[in-house]
Amino acid sequence: MAAAAAAASVASQAQAVLRGRLCDQAVVHSALRSSPDTNYSKLKYLVASSVSEACNNSVLLLGPRGCGKAAVRFSFLVYSSAPLSAVFSDAGVVFDEMCQWAIYDFTLWVVSAWTEVVDMVLDDLKKDHPDAISVIRLNGMLHSDDNCATKEIARQLCLEHQLSFSKMASSDDNTEFMIDMLRECGLAHKTIIFVLEEFDLFAQGKQRLLYSLLDAMQSLTSQAVVIGVSCRLDADQLLEKRVRSRFSHRKLLFVPSSVDSLQRLMEHLLALPEDSPLPTKYVREYNARITSIFNDKKFKGILSSLTDADATTSHILRFLFRVVSYMDIDSGLLSMQSFMNALSSMQRQPKMDSLQDLSILELYILVCMNRLEDKEKSSYNFITIMKEYKSVQDAYKTSDKYSHTVCFRAFEHLLDRELISFADNKGRNQALEYRPVKLLISSRELAESLKLNTTCPAVLQKLLDRERYM
Amino acid sequence: MSQPVTPRRTTRSSASASPSPAPASPTSPPKSRPKPSPRRQLLAAAAAPPKEDGSSADALLAELPGRRAQAMDILRLLAPAPALPLMLHGGAATGKTRALLLALRYLRPSQRLVYAALRSLPSPRALFASLLSQLSATPFSTSSRHRVPDKPSDFVAALRDALNGIVSQGEVVYLVFDNLEVVRSWDKGGQLLPLLLRLHDLLQLPQVVLVYVSSATPDAYYSMTGSVEPNYVYFPDYTVDEVRDILMHDHPNPKLYSSFLSVALKPLFRVTRRVDELSAVLEPLFRRYCEPLGDLKAVPDEGMKRRLFEHVQSHLAVALNETFNVPMRASMDEIKDGGSAGKGSAKRQFAGKDGLSSELEFHMSVSAKYLLLSAFLASRNPATLDAALFDSTGGLDNRKRKRKSSQASMHMKDTIVEEMLMKGPGTFPLERLLAIFQCITSVSEDILDEIDCPGNMASESGTTGLMSDVLLQLSTLCNSNFLSKSRSCPLEGSARYRSNIDEDLALKVARSVNFPLSKYMYRR
Repeated sequence: MAAAAAAASVASQAQAVLRGRLCDQAVVHSALRSSPDTNYSKLKYLVASSVSEACNNSVLLLGPRGCGKAAVRFSFLVYSSAPLSAVFSDAGVVFDEMCQWAIYDFTLWVVSAWTEVVDMVLDDLKKDHPDAISVIRLNGMLHSDDNCATKEIARQLCLEHQLSFSKMASSDDNTEFMIDMLRECGLAHKTIIFVLEEFDLFAQGKQRLLYSLLDAMQSLTSQAVVIGVSCRLDADQLLEKRVRSRFSHRKLLFVPSSVDSLQRLMEHLLALPEDSPLPTKYVREYNARITSIFNDKKFKGILSSLTDADATTSHILRFLFRVVSYMDIDSGLLSMQSFMNALSSMQRQPKMDSLQDLSILELYILVCMNRLEDKEKSSYNFITIMKEYKSVQDAYKTSDKYSHTVCFRAFEHLLDRELISFADNKGRNQALEYRPVKLLISSRELAESLKLNTTCPAVLQKLLDRERYM
Repeated sequence: MSQPVTPRRTTRSSASASPSPAPASPTSPPKSRPKPSPRRQLLAAAAAPPKEDGSSADALLAELPGRRAQAMDILRLLAPAPALPLMLHGGAATGKTRALLLALRYLRPSQRLVYAALRSLPSPRALFASLLSQLSATPFSTSSRHRVPDKPSDFVAALRDALNGIVSQGEVVYLVFDNLEVVRSWDKGGQLLPLLLRLHDLLQLPQVVLVYVSSATPDAYYSMTGSVEPNYVYFPDYTVDEVRDILMHDHPNPKLYSSFLSVALKPLFRVTRRVDELSAVLEPLFRRYCEPLGDLKAVPDEGMKRRLFEHVQSHLAVALNETFNVPMRASMDEIKDGGSAGKGSAKRQFAGKDGLSSELEFHMSVSAKYLLLSAFLASRNPATLDAALFDSTGGLDNRKRKRKSSQASMHMKDTIVEEMLMKGPGTFPLERLLAIFQCITSVSEDILDEIDCPGNMASESGTTGLMSDVLLQLSTLCNSNFLSKSRSCPLEGSARYRSNIDEDLALKVARSVNFPLSKYMYRR
């Protein structure tokens, strides 16, 4: 009994360690940075060459959301103690050079989440030259308003340079302050790095902020880097002419990592370190189990079905989080079953699930709607559905003939579940019965769910099938 | 008789009866809050330290019949502190909030619960204020020190400050957003929703666990620019057996009730699978079921079961076809009150009544009934036919109108019928209503009196009697949602009306005043 309790506590400790690691962006991306990736070298070459030739440059990194955009921010908030890999040491040197170099403006457009590269470079820089750079972070979701953004910039600049920030300062004051600071920092050979997350949201409206930022960078004295982060591939197309003309474009496409590198990432994240406070015997056993799972053929299948749907790091993280949560607490080991369970819970189809939850009457209404759509009715409402329902009931004489009001309640349930919706937003003051509706599911989905439903009457199946082959 | 309902369902019914109280809005002092609803009690319990007996996982699962897998999932995904965001989704009345709050209560100690039911917080500002006031140690007041932020950036900064203070003390904070689906229909919901869903990334605090509860499916929250997805836990609707377990929970006479459920539950389950609706229908039915029994404690044998089944069968057939029951003594006033409370609810009430047995009497004055009928006619009949319908002969002679119909005219008729089905009842100006009203009251006077005297004299006197307070009656009918007053017509400038009653109800009203309604209805 006591032994079992001890095992359980070890297991929950291990679980806590693993969960903490999965929730910590820095750890997750430190795994990726150690892997030599071709995209890294490409970007490194780009950055290095543009710096050595001292030309204005803009790079666009394209890729899906959710691969560590947060890591950019994180590295500034918490001073990461993770050792940097050798791969990036010379990129750091290049940046280093850049900072010591006199006047240099550099615009980097990062479209995506693939910003660990930026993250690592900045991280490195900050370590080597704590005084040479200061970082201003803005998020398009919070600061898309120009006044708000300039205020935030002024606030962060004040914080960085130990100046007192006035809440009452006007937007013009703040803009002026920003330009002054840029000049002062340029004279002191100090680079200000602006990180604009959700960059596409800054491109709404008049783009005054972007203009004043980029315009300030045109002067000889300023020394600044603007990094735009966005997941929209056309982020640069959203810019106004006057803004767009102030930087040059270069795009670099980042595709999600390959299956192999994802597997390496998973191994890295799930393996427990030998020097942890957990009992060594347990750690060995656990790691051996993990290795055997990773070598299993079934695991390859799981991984491929996972990456077929979505190969971003955040997706993998969520999957691993579930796997760790499904850990067997008694033994404290992961099993193939926990991987399978996690996969099946990730692969739910919400529409099909809610179709399975319908009562028979609600299914009747859906089938009637489907029949109406097959008859190429341009639009229909509850009254027409009821007409169809009545005709079906008259033809088949089923026991499922219910009154108008009960059907209307079922109809409202379907609206609640968002399996059907009103076709337009017109006629809001009209009675619900008369507003035109439409199906939000395909007939294939409906047919499948009827097949899966064990309580579904045979008539319904027939009603759906017959009209499809007629 | 004890109600076979769990607290969760009483929550729903009380929530539908009265709009649920806004928790801790900064403008209202906490003392003057409305009486706590069961959900609020549950919330208080979730925040309070757990009782010794109620803190085992088995006790938790016992409180959540049929939700074992989901509760285990929630516990696993929330359990040790750092956790990715979680979203519970599933249909209405599937126990999402209850399971979550009970699980959080079980997960004590050293956690803090911040709960925001978005349905009762009508704007972003109210939401921000509620969250921040729940986080601040001192009672949140409207003093100048605490200014409620209305910009997202200020809010996130304030939230981060407040959370940092708590997290640095080693506490875990659970932020719960209930009814997430309503945000989509908010004024600036399109901007707020991604903010709420990305709060995990924005805050970067691992000790803060975000939980979303939504009755809409996850695909409702996919955005154009990609979204950060939480972990999902799906709450399916209860199966028949689970519903039976829930209804049987704590019933005083389980044997009798289970024999009742074995008869009544299956047919009702074909109509609706929602526990709250089922329990509302089953309760009066069970009372019917028990009627032949003298002793409610009795344990039924086979013979008695059969007898009781035969007794309840007819009632069951009625119950299947009505959405809810109006007690016989319900006066018109009560119904009116219900009607003015929420838009559309009264209409449903009246629509629901036609399923009832006909002995229900309309407590409505004769002139109001005539007014209702004339409004019905005005809405259904085309205005151009008024002259033909209400001529001196009174009513439409159907035989004359029979004509041989060609293929083309048949087709045209079909399309017109289609159009009418799509358009619904038409609108009409006040003048037309009054004219029809005058016509049908005079006609009915003719019919009723059948006295061989100068007709116009009699009808005049009758009309003046009925016409006396017609405008007052009209506004009463509008208030009780029999008629709806639409916006004024841009051409004529006067208000237009529309009748909301269906044909069954109109026929019933007509029968009660012996008015030949069908004669005046234009059939296509």
